[in-house]
Amino acid sequence: MAIEISWQEQGASATGSDGQRRILDGNGPFHLGRSSSNTLVLEHPQVSRAHAEVTVDGRTVRISDRGSQNGTFVGGQRISGPTVWSPDTQVGIGPFLLSLRFVEAAAPRPIPIAAATRDDRAPVAGPPIVRPAAAPARSAFPGRLFDQRIVPMADLRATGRIAGEYNYVAVGGGCGSFCWVDHLRIFGVPASDIRVIGVADDKRPYAKWGRLCRNSQIPDHERIRSNSISVPDNIWGFPGYASREMVRDLLQGRLVGFKHVIQVFGEPALTESYTPRIGDVYRSFDVEAERIGWNDMFLHGQVVGLRKTDDERFVVAYRVPSSQAPDQSSDQRERFIVARYIQLATGYPASNFLPDLQDFRHAHPDSNAVVNAYEPHDEVYRALEQKGGTVLIRGRGIVASRVIQRIWEAREKNKDIRLLHLVRSPVKKGQKYDLARRDARNDVEQQPFNWPKSAWGGTLRVRLERASPEERARLLANWGGTTTADREDWNQIIEQGTREGWYKIFYGNVAAMTEKAGKIVTRLESTAEYQENVDLVADYIVDCTGLIAKIDETPLLADLIKTYDLARNRAAGQGAELRLSGIAVNTAFEIPGLQNGRGHVWAAGVVTANGPYAAVDSFLGLQYAALRSVDHLGALRAPSVSRFGPLKSAREWVKWCLGRAP
Amino acid sequence: MIPTLLGRWHTRLLLYVFIGLPVTFLYAMYLSAWQWPPPFTQSVFYYPFLFITLILVLGLVLDVLYIQIQRFNWDQDWPFAYQAFFMVLEFFIVFYLMDYGILDYVYPLFPDGYIPFSTAAWHFGFVFVLSFLAILGIFQIFLVRWRFKGGELGRHPIR
Repeated sequence: MAIEISWQEQGASATGSDGQRRILDGNGPFHLGRSSSNTLVLEHPQVSRAHAEVTVDGRTVRISDRGSQNGTFVGGQRISGPTVWSPDTQVGIGPFLLSLRFVEAAAPRPIPIAAATRDDRAPVAGPPIVRPAAAPARSAFPGRLFDQRIVPMADLRATGRIAGEYNYVAVGGGCGSFCWVDHLRIFGVPASDIRVIGVADDKRPYAKWGRLCRNSQIPDHERIRSNSISVPDNIWGFPGYASREMVRDLLQGRLVGFKHVIQVFGEPALTESYTPRIGDVYRSFDVEAERIGWNDMFLHGQVVGLRKTDDERFVVAYRVPSSQAPDQSSDQRERFIVARYIQLATGYPASNFLPDLQDFRHAHPDSNAVVNAYEPHDEVYRALEQKGGTVLIRGRGIVASRVIQRIWEAREKNKDIRLLHLVRSPVKKGQKYDLARRDARNDVEQQPFNWPKSAWGGTLRVRLERASPEERARLLANWGGTTTADREDWNQIIEQGTREGWYKIFYGNVAAMTEKAGKIVTRLESTAEYQENVDLVADYIVDCTGLIAKIDETPLLADLIKTYDLARNRAAGQGAELRLSGIAVNTAFEIPGLQNGRGHVWAAGVVTANGPYAAVDSFLGLQYAALRSVDHLGALRAPSVSRFGPLKSAREWVKWCLGRAP
Repeated sequence: MIPTLLGRWHTRLLLYVFIGLPVTFLYAMYLSAWQWPPPFTQSVFYYPFLFITLILVLGLVLDVLYIQIQRFNWDQDWPFAYQAFFMVLEFFIVFYLMDYGILDYVYPLFPDGYIPFSTAAWHFGFVFVLSFLAILGIFQIFLVRWRFKGGELGRHPIR
């Protein structure tokens, strides 16, 4: 059962504006408001950025006001708390009147990156939502039990839904959890005492990351922006990917194998940095997952809540996807798991989609010409190879570089392809920090990885750890930002394209987008200096602006932040709301506000963005977070966790080499 | 490599204790024709120890300079190529300081003031190759936290 919300601006029909409608599948909460981060965007000055919220519980739909300026009205009455919205009543928000109806199934599908999808081959055409499938609202499950900040174990047992009690539970089935569990296993914890709850149907820890990589045009043989020692399958970082690749090449009689190690020797000053092939990274994950018994620890489920228990532990409520449940009863599908030690690594909640491109897709639901680089969009390149055409790329950075490379490859098959590249402003000079300046070339700042290298373990790591929160935000803005890898081949593609006339870069903001004779016309805003109209006419637009790091779009985290009043990190920038970033963790990656006596919760990945460690969204950063939190467990004398001195470390390394279980 | 100053010092001492001293002992034994007990008071035996210790001392001082050079790199890193170059440079500095008898003004460590270049070079060569392999990855087998601590030893403090 899904709901359809349709809305119309009062008095707007005279101007020819048609009403719009959206189908929302799931229980919500769905957010309504002016800001583009809402599920349902209502563009009007009378609408607050975060205006209202809708939740669905069976056939009961509730709407609540989120503290808006002008209020939310149900049947003409301004509401204060959650109010039932029935299909025969209209809701007023600003100048909009919203109607509701129930529909059997959601025809259009969102493109959630957090949810399990097997829709790699799904058509590009579809709704313009790149939002995560919202988790079921608390009212349905886990219900009133989770209205409490501390849940009594007796009440929990009375539900009869406790699926198990363990010492260690990882929330999230991706790379962050994998690194944590890998450390736990190697430090001595048996697989039987660990559970991982992941939402994907696919148990492979790199399923979501790999899907995003494939969508953003990284085929298996391509190299990723990662380093030789960023080996998620090996906690020691040795042997790295470079030496493994060298050995394999040499065994096959290819002397080119030496090149990889020479690269590591000279990088980044004398040679271009070594980067591993993504196919090798996938395979190394598989081997290590097998070795540590990953599949046996993995539980399919969408985590919908986490609470402290009255016995110094935590309860995690999760919902088993229908495809994985033994039967469809709620007893089987809605479960609790109890643990003393938890790690949260839920990853990026969604990919970014520029608001004007979203609007265009709203207005042209049948068009497959506007795509996000993180959704499946291979058809665009296939069509270009067959028929030629013009592509407009929005945004700079690593994904833009990949897409440009893919278009360059398409041009090998069809020379009738042209590329327009739209970025907000030129970049001629890189940022300065201390005595150095970052390279900038072809209007993008370039560095081997997404942070300066020493942010992972050297002087910049120490600098950031010791910085005050305000200083931290400033340093992170200085070291990070939008950059691409300093790959010579990418620079040459752009320089060749500029020379040959099939690549051109434009600067500015978008004033309007229209469709004209099957082409999309993007009009740039005029500026004080340049008042002429500039129209960019393209057959396709690819949004390369990246992933959304707004973690409170993950309902689980939003609920935790609210329930336990968790501190947030602040990013540099404008507006207090906009600057809210990851959940504040200490240097061991623990979330202090969630400590429950002997029970502790750690976090890893983008959940901790803008905290005491910069490079959280990288393999090496995930390994660092895992090491710090598992070392913390060792200091807490947690069951089976070794202090991991040199001899234990070496013994475990030998086991790794021999492929024996830890 | 992404060392901190403290990390440079820790790693240098670690290399000295676990590679420098054992290799030097074997080399000194070889130079003194595997006599047992070792001829501790003869220059042929203790010169290599003085030599390797002087490199350590010079290195500990130069580390302060190296950490400043790092600040000119955007990544604030220390490529392996730099590491190799400066290790060899340290060898030459110490060798020629000894060879020209300059150190005698500081302290008469070498009354006869002379080690043949090839003797010193072989000695340094063994230590260099093993040290380099150690920092390329062998250390990490034993010290899982080393690479995240800029070369410092021990665990991260829990705060």
